[in-house]
Amino acid sequence: MTLAFKSSEKFSIGVELELQLVNTHDYNLTTDAADLLRRVKGRLPAGELKPEVTQSMVEINSSVHHRHGDLVGELVSVRDMLAKEARRMNVAIAGGGAHPFQKWNERRIYPAERFLNVSEQYGYLTKQFTVFGQHIHIGCANGDDALYLCHALAGFMPQFIALSASSPFYQGVDTAFDCSRLNVVSAFPLSGTVPFVHTWADFEAYVARMMEFGIVKSMKDFYWDIRPKPEYGTIEIRVCDTPLTVEKAADLAAYAQALASWLLTERPAKLSPDIYLVYSYNRFQACRYGLQGNVFDPLGRGHQTIAESILQTVGNIERHGEEMGAGEAIDRIARAAAGGQNDARWLRDTLAEVGSLSNTVRLQSELWMG
Amino acid sequence: MTDFSFLPTFPLPVNSFVLFGVLLLTGLLGGHLAGRTRLLPRITGYIAVGLLLGPGGLNLLSPELLDDARLFVDISLGLILFELGRRLDLGWLRRDRWFLSAAVAESAVSFGLIWFALTHFGIEPLQAAMAAAIGIATSPAVVLLVAHDLKADGPVTRRALSLVALNNIIALLLFTALLPVLHFNLRASWPTILLHPLYRLAGSLVLGYLAYLVTARMARLVGKQEGGQFILLVGMIVVAVGCAKLFNLSVMLTLLGFGVMAKNLDRKRDIMAVEFGYAGQLFFVVLFVVTGASLELYRLGAAPWAVLAFVAARFIGKSATLMIFGRPSGLSHRQAAMLGIALVPMAEVAIGMARTVTDIYPEFGANLAVIVVSSVAVLDLIGPVAAQLAFKWAGEASPERVAKKEGLS
Repeated sequence: MTLAFKSSEKFSIGVELELQLVNTHDYNLTTDAADLLRRVKGRLPAGELKPEVTQSMVEINSSVHHRHGDLVGELVSVRDMLAKEARRMNVAIAGGGAHPFQKWNERRIYPAERFLNVSEQYGYLTKQFTVFGQHIHIGCANGDDALYLCHALAGFMPQFIALSASSPFYQGVDTAFDCSRLNVVSAFPLSGTVPFVHTWADFEAYVARMMEFGIVKSMKDFYWDIRPKPEYGTIEIRVCDTPLTVEKAADLAAYAQALASWLLTERPAKLSPDIYLVYSYNRFQACRYGLQGNVFDPLGRGHQTIAESILQTVGNIERHGEEMGAGEAIDRIARAAAGGQNDARWLRDTLAEVGSLSNTVRLQSELWMG
Repeated sequence: MTDFSFLPTFPLPVNSFVLFGVLLLTGLLGGHLAGRTRLLPRITGYIAVGLLLGPGGLNLLSPELLDDARLFVDISLGLILFELGRRLDLGWLRRDRWFLSAAVAESAVSFGLIWFALTHFGIEPLQAAMAAAIGIATSPAVVLLVAHDLKADGPVTRRALSLVALNNIIALLLFTALLPVLHFNLRASWPTILLHPLYRLAGSLVLGYLAYLVTARMARLVGKQEGGQFILLVGMIVVAVGCAKLFNLSVMLTLLGFGVMAKNLDRKRDIMAVEFGYAGQLFFVVLFVVTGASLELYRLGAAPWAVLAFVAARFIGKSATLMIFGRPSGLSHRQAAMLGIALVPMAEVAIGMARTVTDIYPEFGANLAVIVVSSVAVLDLIGPVAAQLAFKWAGEASPERVAKKEGLS
């Protein structure tokens, strides 16, 4: 098997959004993925709709874009179409990293060979994997750039976790985390981070070795937080919870795009393995405390809150964002950080107001469906 | 006072405690045995036990005892009708107009076919029309509980439950609309002809609305506590059933209306979607055992062909219409076919409607009852099996439940 890195246009972006399908009776997850897929087959205005591991999930894949405005336009049109079809089916679609009160053992594996194999391999973890993430793809010219970007972005993952966090409730309880979803991902043996190698040749050798050991069959088996995706010519950021709106998802993608442009163009910091020494600690802080989390920056040698680090980053990447037409999106990110506002906060405030998780999901789905 | 006056006197009169307990325990056994087969749902087991113990079988459950059990049966039906009403989302009917058309059409076509078939067998047109109106309704209890037992979830299940709610409402309205004709034919006075149906319809809806208002107010007071709301709902359902009987209104329409209003008028969702769970199961077991005991299979001999025609016309009417309307509503052929099969069960409520007529005009009602009661008997035996297969074949039953059932046989 070859792992050739297919070159793609620098800093092009695309997103994948995993979405919740819920009923309108008590707003628990429902099993309508196959029916929704059948109904919209060939009618989607752009991108693709795919099944996911259990029957309560679907995934939107956007097309490749260069500018925030085009991405958000496409996501809105796909959202509108799906919302309309869902209303005809009397189901609702919601964003959010985890369903607040579903019971994982009630989930049903989507009947496709790939998912049935995963279920066979991972047992109950597979059904617990009914969590919903946003993946952001960023185009890279070559494999070496992709690896540089993976390592350089690692220090910024707490920002993405905190900004997108929308899974405070899990299995009917407030977890005290802003993002509980990543705890589910961490249970998988091949989760974690990309090995600290710098050239595509070294990376290929690493994968070849893991295959030789019989541990993986393909790149797909690595559930890393950021991973190169050689067949697309991208790197894929996988830590984000699916935000409550497609607009927020597009903002996060624009933020990642500007950040990547700044990192690759200006190469502001030398890569150091120390990034991975503090990685788990910082990641935990982001999941647990969201924007108020306290992270250690191994390069700057200091502690700061994630909100502070976002505001600092915004200052650095602003110019790149403006050039890519992402100025407004980045402004919104900065305001969210300054105000301590993320979707986890919205969910907790909403629960306090309406009193039940079922009602919270109702409003969450109304928010997503527009 | 004699030395042995503390001993009970014989023969022992069976009291309600023993009756309720025995119905539960025997039902449990029947359900268990049925559950061990590949084909039969547990509900069929409850019904079979009733049939065995009832007047048509060992006669351990005499008609008098069955009357005593009426209380439990009415509470069960109240719970089920309310729950069914809550599944009817009027907003959905606006969003998918083909679905509403399908519901109206399947009711109209099955009514027409049944009427045609029965008049063909020489049944008097008005009787045929009343039987046909009754035939529109699908059993809420069977469909809801089979779906619940299989943990069925998906497009067919969702539509089946809403269609059942709709066809019960349509059947009820049509049946009530036919009452004046019946009164007229049987030379009742004008006030009876006009006011009786109006009183039943409007009165039931007003009572349902009052029940909703009080529940919504109390739900706000209780807050989002599942336990508290459970007691609130059961309490209010029992009160509503009782009041409907007190005022000679339709228990069915009152409770369905209460459920529909709780779903559609409660904008702030103060009333929670509470599962009746194990407590509900207690009543449902009794409901089906009593239903089984009330089945009068022997009547089938009186008009076997008319009953067969009734059952066939009803099935063809519903299935064919749903197949036609399924496509524009976005259903696959398979889903539409399964929906038709899921609507086969016809039960207890039909007997209630026939009884309404019997109560007023015994002689006329008796003729009607033969056909309705026999059809119910047939469909009570086939219905649960059909509903189970429909949900299973639609791929909407929980795979664990299906595997467990198939693994056991």
